[in-house]
Amino acid sequence: MKLYIKEYSSYRSDEDAVDVKKELKQKYKYDTRRQDTFIHLAVYGAKLLQEKIEIRADDELYVTTGVGNIEVVQKTMTNMHNNNQSIKLFDFLNSVGNTTSYYVATSLGLHGKNIFQISDNFTYLNSLISLYASIANSGKDAILCALDFAGSSDEVTKRVLGVKRDTQLVDSVNYQKFSLDGDSAIAEIEFEAKSYSLSEVKAFISQSAKPLLASQRCRDLECDKESKFFETMASYAINSSIKKSQNLIYIDCFEERYKILKLKSLR
Amino acid sequence: MSAYINNYELLCNAGDVESLMQAIYAKESALVIDNTYLDDASAGLGIMEYDNIFNVLERITQQILDKSNLDNFHNTLLIMGSSVGGMQECEDIFYRDMSFKNIDPMRYSIHVLSDYLQEKFAFYDSRAISTACTSSANALLLAKRLIDVEAYDNVLVIGADGLCRSTVLGFHALGVLSNKRCTPFDTDRNGMNVAEAVGALLIQNVKVKDSVELKGVGASSDAYHMTNPDPEATGAIRSMRDAIADAGIEIDDIDYVNAHGTATLANDRVESLAVEKLFGKKVFVSSTKAITGHTLGAAGAIEAIVSCEAIRNSMIPPQAGLKNQENKNINVAKESVKMDVSYVISNSFAFGGNNTSLVFGACR
Repeated sequence: MKLYIKEYSSYRSDEDAVDVKKELKQKYKYDTRRQDTFIHLAVYGAKLLQEKIEIRADDELYVTTGVGNIEVVQKTMTNMHNNNQSIKLFDFLNSVGNTTSYYVATSLGLHGKNIFQISDNFTYLNSLISLYASIANSGKDAILCALDFAGSSDEVTKRVLGVKRDTQLVDSVNYQKFSLDGDSAIAEIEFEAKSYSLSEVKAFISQSAKPLLASQRCRDLECDKESKFFETMASYAINSSIKKSQNLIYIDCFEERYKILKLKSLR
Repeated sequence: MSAYINNYELLCNAGDVESLMQAIYAKESALVIDNTYLDDASAGLGIMEYDNIFNVLERITQQILDKSNLDNFHNTLLIMGSSVGGMQECEDIFYRDMSFKNIDPMRYSIHVLSDYLQEKFAFYDSRAISTACTSSANALLLAKRLIDVEAYDNVLVIGADGLCRSTVLGFHALGVLSNKRCTPFDTDRNGMNVAEAVGALLIQNVKVKDSVELKGVGASSDAYHMTNPDPEATGAIRSMRDAIADAGIEIDDIDYVNAHGTATLANDRVESLAVEKLFGKKVFVSSTKAITGHTLGAAGAIEAIVSCEAIRNSMIPPQAGLKNQENKNINVAKESVKMDVSYVISNSFAFGGNNTSLVFGACR
C-alpha cells in the first residue's frame, strides 16, 4: 500500500513551548469553551495543518490515539461519585471519542467520513491501513490526526500502555494530509498489513538503508529509539523526517510481531 | 473483492439472535423500567443477563469460530466497535475503592475489549473504533473497505457496550432519556432507552451457504452541532445515498430501512425527513430499538444482524410501540411483512453528526 503525503503539522509538548489553549484563542480566534486539553491539542494540530494546505470539505478525517483521554474519564467518574450521581454534561460529551473528531471537523469545515480509531498496538500504522482502504475506494484525500495526551493521569496511562514507570510520556499531535495522487506531494509512504517475526525484521534491517528508527516497544532490536514515549510516535517520526527532507524506515512492535513503514522524501 | 457476512451471534436484553428476532416479529419489547442508576428518576433500560462483559465477548467469539470455516483466528482481523470499552468494570472498581489504583490496565480504556480478545484468540491484528453510536457500524464499514483492498481475508467485527453509570447519567443530563419503553417515530415519543449488547459478525471474502453480502457502505459528517443532527438531514441523506451508490444499486432497489430510530425528538424527526426525501413511501421502515433499546456502540452490529435476518427470513421487522406516526410521508411497517427482501439499508447516527449507512444484499 502506498500513499502520498501532501502536507503535515506537528506539535509535541517537550519541544514546542506553546500554550495551546492560549494560542487557539489568540492566534486562531477559536472558541475553546466546553472542550478539554485533549480536544484543544487535536484542534491546534488541525489549525497548524490548515495554515499550510487547502482543506476540502469532502476530505476524510481519521483521528487515532493510543489510550484516548483517560483524564476526562477519571474526572467524570470522580465528579459523578462526589456529586451524588450527577454528571457534568460536557465531561460526558468530551469522554466520547468522536467529540474530538467533531471539533476537528468543524474547525476545518469537513463533512466527509469521520472515524476515531483507538488501539495500543500498531496504532498509527493500522490507522494508515484503514485510511488507505477507504480512499482507495472513494478516491478522496484524507487527513490523519495522531494524538496522545498524558495529562494528570500519566501513571494510569503508563500502566495501560505497558511502558516502564520511569518512561517520560509526551503530549503530541501530528497530522498528515494523504492522497492517492502524487502530484505536488512532499513524501510517499509505504506500508502493509503483514507483520514480521524478529528474525525476519532483523534480516530486513541488515539490508536496509539508514536512517532507521524503532519504537520503544521494539526491545529486542538494536537500533535508534526515542527515549520518550507516546503511542503515535511513528507519526511524529515521519513528520520529523519530512521536515529534514530525509527518508526513513520506522519499525513498530507488538507482542513479538513487527511492522514496517517506509517513508521516501520527495523534496 | 466482495465482502460476505458468513455468520453472526449476539446477546442483548432480548437474548440471542433467535430470541431477539422472535421478540421483534412479535413486537414484544424487552425493555424494563429501572431506577438503579438515577436517584431521582426511573428510565427505560435494555439489560442483558450476564456476569461480565469480557466473558460474554469470549463466549460469543468462540461461538463464531465454532460455526465458521476457520480453525482459528490467526489470519483474522478483529475490529471492535465500542463507545465506552472497559468503563463498566472500571466504574465498579472506582466506586468500591474510591481509587483508580486497583483497576486492571488491561480492562480500562476503550480498546481493552479488543485487546482482551486478541490475547485470548491470537487474532492477526486488532483495532477499536469509538465513534459513540456509530462505532460498530463504522467497524463494519472499515471491514468492507479492508476486504475490498485485500488487506485481510477475514474480519471479525464486534460491537459491544455494557451499561454503566456514565452513559445513563450522561444521556439523562442531555435530557433525552425516556422513563417508559421508547416509541420510535411516534408523535408522543419522549426519548431513548440506554441498553447494552454484544453483537459479532464474521466477514469474509468468500461466500458460503446462507451468506449475506455487505454490499455497500457510506458515511458523512454533519459537523453541525455537538448533539443535534442537521435539521435539513443533509448528512443522513448523504450517508444513505453513498452506501446505495457503493452497493451499485438504485434507490428503488432498497426494500427495507432499518432505521437508527432512537425515539429522541431530534433523531426521529431528522431521520424521517431523510427517508422521506430519499425514498418517499416506497420502502418499509422500522426501528428495532423499540425492542432492544439503544445499545450505543453495539447498535450498528446488532442492527446489521437484524438486517441480515430480515433478508434470510424474507420478513420485514415491524415497528413496535407505534400508535400515532409523526411523519406520515414515510412507510413505517406496522406489522411484519412477508416478502422477498433483496436489499436492506441500516442507519447509525452519532454525536457530532457522525452518520454511517450500510447496505446488505441477499445472495441468491
